[in-house]
Amino acid sequence: MDPAERLLDLVIALTHAERRMTKSQIRAQVNGYDRTSSPEAFERMFERDKDTLRELGIPLVTDTAAAHADDIGYRIDTDGYELPPINLTPAEVGVLSLAAQLWSDASLSGPASRGLTKLRAVGPAPEPDATAGLTLRLRAPEAAFESVLGALTQRSAVTFTYRAASTGEVRRRIVEPWRLVNQRRAWYLIGFDRDREAPRAFRLSRIEGRVRTTGAAGVVSPPESFDAGTVLAGAAREQGTARLALLPDRGAALRARASAPAAPLADRDVLEVPYDDTEALADELAGYAEAVVVLGPESLREAVLRRLRAAATLGGRS
Amino acid sequence: MAAEHADARLTRLLALISYLSDHPGVPVPEVAAHFGVSEAQVLSDVNLLWVSGTPGYLPDDLIDFSYDAYESGVLTLTDSRGMHRPLRLGAIEAIALLAAVRSIEQMPGVPGQSAVTSVAAKLAAAAGEAAAAASAVDVRLARPAVAAHLERLRTAIQDGRAVHLRYVSGADVVTDRDVDPGALLHDGERWYLRAWCHRAQEIRHFRLDRVLAVTVLESTAEHPELAGPDVAASAEPVLAGTDLEVSLEIAARARWIAESLPVESVEELVGGWLRVRLRVVTETWVRSLVLGLGADVRRVEPQWLADAVADAAVGALAAYERLA
Repeated sequence: MDPAERLLDLVIALTHAERRMTKSQIRAQVNGYDRTSSPEAFERMFERDKDTLRELGIPLVTDTAAAHADDIGYRIDTDGYELPPINLTPAEVGVLSLAAQLWSDASLSGPASRGLTKLRAVGPAPEPDATAGLTLRLRAPEAAFESVLGALTQRSAVTFTYRAASTGEVRRRIVEPWRLVNQRRAWYLIGFDRDREAPRAFRLSRIEGRVRTTGAAGVVSPPESFDAGTVLAGAAREQGTARLALLPDRGAALRARASAPAAPLADRDVLEVPYDDTEALADELAGYAEAVVVLGPESLREAVLRRLRAAATLGGRS
Repeated sequence: MAAEHADARLTRLLALISYLSDHPGVPVPEVAAHFGVSEAQVLSDVNLLWVSGTPGYLPDDLIDFSYDAYESGVLTLTDSRGMHRPLRLGAIEAIALLAAVRSIEQMPGVPGQSAVTSVAAKLAAAAGEAAAAASAVDVRLARPAVAAHLERLRTAIQDGRAVHLRYVSGADVVTDRDVDPGALLHDGERWYLRAWCHRAQEIRHFRLDRVLAVTVLESTAEHPELAGPDVAASAEPVLAGTDLEVSLEIAARARWIAESLPVESVEELVGGWLRVRLRVVTETWVRSLVLGLGADVRRVEPQWLADAVADAAVGALAAYERLA
């Protein structure tokens, strides 16, 4: 029997229960549970099914009879069951269809497509061309994502083992989680690091092992507003306009980004390229080797020269 | 078909009851299109609903459809067993959808921006408490300046036209090629065009920030299906063929290489250093990578590649001296 059939019959039974159903009533009466071989098998199945219903947002409530404290009954709170009225336009359903494809793994794409199914039940047919040809796919979050999200929603601190990128040092951290951020194809936890007494960003891929909550729920209060970008960058990134001297016919990608051509220098074309991160641009420019020479600013020129001097020592002949 | 998760099917079964309660007499194909599933799936769902109901499971306890209508391929629900009300969103469902819509809100080139904004507001209202948690998930999309290419390619895809691309590779080589554009992909950082490349005779991904010029051609695209939504199942653009295997010893600071490039293996060394093995397409590409890493690389194999990197660096330093 399809588990979905058993779950559906459970939902219908609990919605219709006069007051509540006890586990033994469920096992005896609800289609699908009567075939379980043993009380233990029933317990395992029923526990799993309860979790599934709750994840789906079905308000399953427990109801303990006054006379028998160990006699737990279940019902579905019909007042909390219903989706509030939501009047969607065809274009809006189109946007939701695109949104449901955004997550590339099961931990968020499953819930997103269930949400879409529920909204389709009350919405019009989507406008077919609203999002044709465009796809946004974000890298799947690491395993730590779900535990961190859980801690965020219950506002409790978390502790985990973290490998610092700057030093490679592995340490236990205690963090008050503020936000989960996706940037440049990576997921980060931003929060207050209790040891460092400052906001920090933690890349989820550098968390080793499990994330556990620590202390009471409801104690974390993220600041009303904070600049996630600054915390992520560690320090403010340096912006500017680079003056570059390019060999003819080289650096086409840089030429496409150039804001203004300038007078040539010796055998080279000179152009100006705006940037928002000195170190990131230096990575790129050093890669062009002799095809691109930085004329300024000095901080960028020095960052590229530093890379070239280090790379010059890699060969076996030097 | 891969086995569907029970939670997904249960959600659709409940959604079907609500939908059919509001829409008597809908043809099966229309239901299938509305929920984005096959007609066979809808019929299988209906057959399951037909035998579901309240304990006792006698005929009057069961969900019921008009049999005559069913025989003519039309669905009319005659008894919903009180399950007609639409089910609210679960917390994680609201978070996943709302965070996704807010990401799309930042995408340049999304048409009907007003629909994106309005649906975000409606979702937040419907989600209630979960909406607060959703704001704890934040997607910060990079916004590369490729809007003109994006718009032109989008139109070409919709019109089924081939395009001519002038493209510069990661190895700084400019090529001209005709492609059949299939889809525009954004991975949060960059835009890519997935297209059938007539020059390479295969599907290729082109970074839009490396596209130098786009010309829409008169000819119609011959292979649009090769780059269509079915191929989109792969989550991330495939960027590399694999010919040359190299090994790099990198500092902890350059760990992003192990995290974001398709590496064959990663070995942790003393002092936070790592040894990564990766397959790369061209020598030029890996040489650029190593030059950009500077002191964060201390060893490169094979030796000839290490020598090539060092030679390139020495040549570049000489160019700096000449221009000083």
